[in-house]
Amino acid sequence: MKFFYCLLLIIPAAALAQKNIQGKVTDQRGNALPGANVFLKGTYDGGTTDANGVFAFQTSESDTATVVASYVGFEVFENKINLKESIPAMSIRLDELANELNTVVITAGAFEASDEKRMALLKPLDIVTTAGAAADITGAMQFLPGAQRVGEQEGLFVRGGSGQETKIVIDGMIVQNPFFSSLPDVQSRGRFNPFMFKGTSFSTGGYSAQYGQALSSVLLLNTTDKISNNGLGISLNLANAGLNYDYAHKNQSVSAVVYYGNLRPLFKLVKQNVEWIHAPEFKGSSLTYRWKPTKNGVLKVYGMYSDSHLSMNSNDPSSDTGKMRLVLKNNNAFTTSTYTDSWADGRWTLNSGISYSRNKDNMTWDGVHFDRFDERTQARVVLTRLLSGNNTILFGAEAHAINIGNGVDGKMYRLKDRYTAAFVESEIYITRALAGRIGVRSEYSSVIGRANAAPRLSFAYKTGRYSQVSLAAGQFYQNPDYRYLYLNKSLKYERADHLIVNYQIIKNQRTFRVETFYKNYAQLVREFTGQKYDADPYRFPWGATNNSGDGYARGFDFFWRDQKSVKNLDYWVTYSFVDSKRLFQQFEQSATPTFISNHNISLITKKWFEKARTNLSATYAFTSGRPYYNPNNDEFLKDRTPAVHHVSIQASKLQSIKGNLVIFYATVDNILNTRNVFTYRYTPDGRTRYAVGPQSYRSFFAGMQIMLSKKAKVGKDDF
Amino acid sequence: MKKLTTFALLFALATGMAWAQNEKYTRAMSDGINALMAIDRSKPDPKALQEIGNRFERIAAAEPKEWLPKYYAAYTNALLGLTGATLTEKDQYLDKANALLKEAETIAGKPNDELEVLKAYHAQIHLAADPMNRWQTDGEKFQGFLQSAKSLNADNPRIYYLEASSAFFTPDEYGGGKKVAKPMLEKAQQKFAAFKPATTIHPDWGKMETEWMLSQTN
Repeated sequence: MKFFYCLLLIIPAAALAQKNIQGKVTDQRGNALPGANVFLKGTYDGGTTDANGVFAFQTSESDTATVVASYVGFEVFENKINLKESIPAMSIRLDELANELNTVVITAGAFEASDEKRMALLKPLDIVTTAGAAADITGAMQFLPGAQRVGEQEGLFVRGGSGQETKIVIDGMIVQNPFFSSLPDVQSRGRFNPFMFKGTSFSTGGYSAQYGQALSSVLLLNTTDKISNNGLGISLNLANAGLNYDYAHKNQSVSAVVYYGNLRPLFKLVKQNVEWIHAPEFKGSSLTYRWKPTKNGVLKVYGMYSDSHLSMNSNDPSSDTGKMRLVLKNNNAFTTSTYTDSWADGRWTLNSGISYSRNKDNMTWDGVHFDRFDERTQARVVLTRLLSGNNTILFGAEAHAINIGNGVDGKMYRLKDRYTAAFVESEIYITRALAGRIGVRSEYSSVIGRANAAPRLSFAYKTGRYSQVSLAAGQFYQNPDYRYLYLNKSLKYERADHLIVNYQIIKNQRTFRVETFYKNYAQLVREFTGQKYDADPYRFPWGATNNSGDGYARGFDFFWRDQKSVKNLDYWVTYSFVDSKRLFQQFEQSATPTFISNHNISLITKKWFEKARTNLSATYAFTSGRPYYNPNNDEFLKDRTPAVHHVSIQASKLQSIKGNLVIFYATVDNILNTRNVFTYRYTPDGRTRYAVGPQSYRSFFAGMQIMLSKKAKVGKDDF
Repeated sequence: MKKLTTFALLFALATGMAWAQNEKYTRAMSDGINALMAIDRSKPDPKALQEIGNRFERIAAAEPKEWLPKYYAAYTNALLGLTGATLTEKDQYLDKANALLKEAETIAGKPNDELEVLKAYHAQIHLAADPMNRWQTDGEKFQGFLQSAKSLNADNPRIYYLEASSAFFTPDEYGGGKKVAKPMLEKAQQKFAAFKPATTIHPDWGKMETEWMLSQTN
């Protein structure tokens, strides 16, 4: 009995034997960390550091204990102490956790628009709010460093590359027909709505081994995982009318879009340089279904169908009348399903998908039928393993079945390609300030019966808290243009070697980035016709071909963006310089191709007026003269077109009408009515030349978007 | 007999200690909650918040089976996400709050309306840190968490308080405003009047803010 009384007496006695624990918490450099939590594990005893990083608390623990120190953004510190002895003042140094400011990111060659990554140089909404881009993704990319503007063709022309050297990829799947069907001397728009995407990465070279079949560039688009508004929306503008409906329920959501467009009303208002017989008329629909079956898994199924019809009299220097009547009917379908998931606390990540696309153009040129047909079925799997210290390794494979047909007056010429690729790539953090990415991609194409292996390499080094340098190099292969393969299937891959060095500093909402590159072209296809150069861009290459071509492109570009200096004003300036020569196609000597402009400058400004709830945006773009073929000049491609100047403005205003949100927008393109010339074409006798310019000079466009949903929330950037 | 007495004493001692431990927990929690409620909501002092957050974290570390200390630690860190000087700092606290919320969810073991409400509040603060770029994703998350909270306990007044505050701070032009918020605030007020927390240390915040906003709508 006595023992227990003693025990009862001892307990408060022990409780009274308080010990002092004190010390200081700093980072590795010795800077005090105020507000750090220091305590003994498993007890309530502890304290918070003061402004000098000093802590002091008392404990009644009497044996051994574990001191824990934690501070936001730092790794947790633990240390065992013996409380039986007297405890000297502790000095605790914490390690900073890896974060966006102290960890390097591999950026050479890539220009990212993302909501999620803070290192991104653009936000997805920047794309739709850029004047002059016409809410077209590739339209906006043309203003980025490294891109050259080529007004009469669609596609992204990157650092001396042609439009065919850029591949557009949605959720890992190559998009076979990213643009509406090509028309003579008219730039076609992209098929995809920019609001579909949560992130865009525009690579101007040196890109990852995950992608191939692009000598110059890949534009990676990632679709959104979720919908933003539940309900019905109506869009009305001078060219089309559309309905969209979004519905989300628990872990599933559906978005549906239908639209009908007809450019006739617009063409009545805006003078056209093109002689339209049947103004473009188009209709389409898309359906997206998203499902989250597991915690991290996301299944996305997207399908779209569109058809269009138009007819025009296009300039044709080789015909007697100088005109040629073109009728085009297009059907296009694209479906893609992707599944992504991750397991084991994110240590394993899966990205997979299958996609099918089909495109049919029925054309008549002065009564002669020409048909184009293509379909592509593709499947892709990528597995990523996260290793310790942020290092990753990924393995992937893809397979494509491509069928292409070209019909002339009912006779169809067909081409079949079965393309497979496998790749492995690892990202290694040597330290937080130095990282590398090493990868290799191997491909096989059945149509030419050849395989290749392309190494890719990038490094990035953090030079300061806000700045870094990076380097990227690699080999890139692409199949020869399918038009050549109808007649010659023994051609080799065309190849480009890239070397890119980049410096960037992002601080306080200001960004400066400079990049310089050298690109070597090898094994380019040359065509030998035995006749003089034929500048018709729509000719069929009937001559003998081989891979003896080569070339180079070199240059630099810089980008400056400032969102800070003036409140609600955001502007950026881009300058790109490229110098390039090639020996390819029908060239008999090395020359600068017609799609190259040495200097491209763009200035983009956006200002938000809070009271008027209006966003005003203006863009100035300058493109220096491009070479064109003049049969009367003995020097090949020596003539230059005049420079192109382009000023556009755009305004969007947000209004609430009877509880529904309405966005009005209006743009004026080429406000100075500049008579830009993109290139010249000559009649066969070489006497007369035609200027090829834009579809219209000064033009305007207006429309509105209505959201019939009281729940819908719209911020200033929803334009 | 002696054995029995020994046993009884031992038992009394053990339960006594357990009771003491429990009381210590409740007292520490109450102290923390009182300190938290005493903070001036119109301009919270980050230093004081940090100190309170640390307290809850210490309790959480000592009481690994209780979800409430994690809940309050997350709540405090979310509030720190409001006061942070830079976006990076705000995000650090918000990331921490998020991690604490996840831990609380694991401990709670089953869906819990208060945790869903706090997730919604977290999304709202995360949005407020960078509204231009986050309204779309976070706005949707906010609605989603409130929906799931409603499905768990439609009488939780904080659901209606958060809904109303979101409308209250949204400008009229964007479909919000005081007028829109008023009926929502009145509903929240009714729900608060009927609400009784499970224990004195269970979540019971938002009433004060509701009253304040309501006073502004007149």
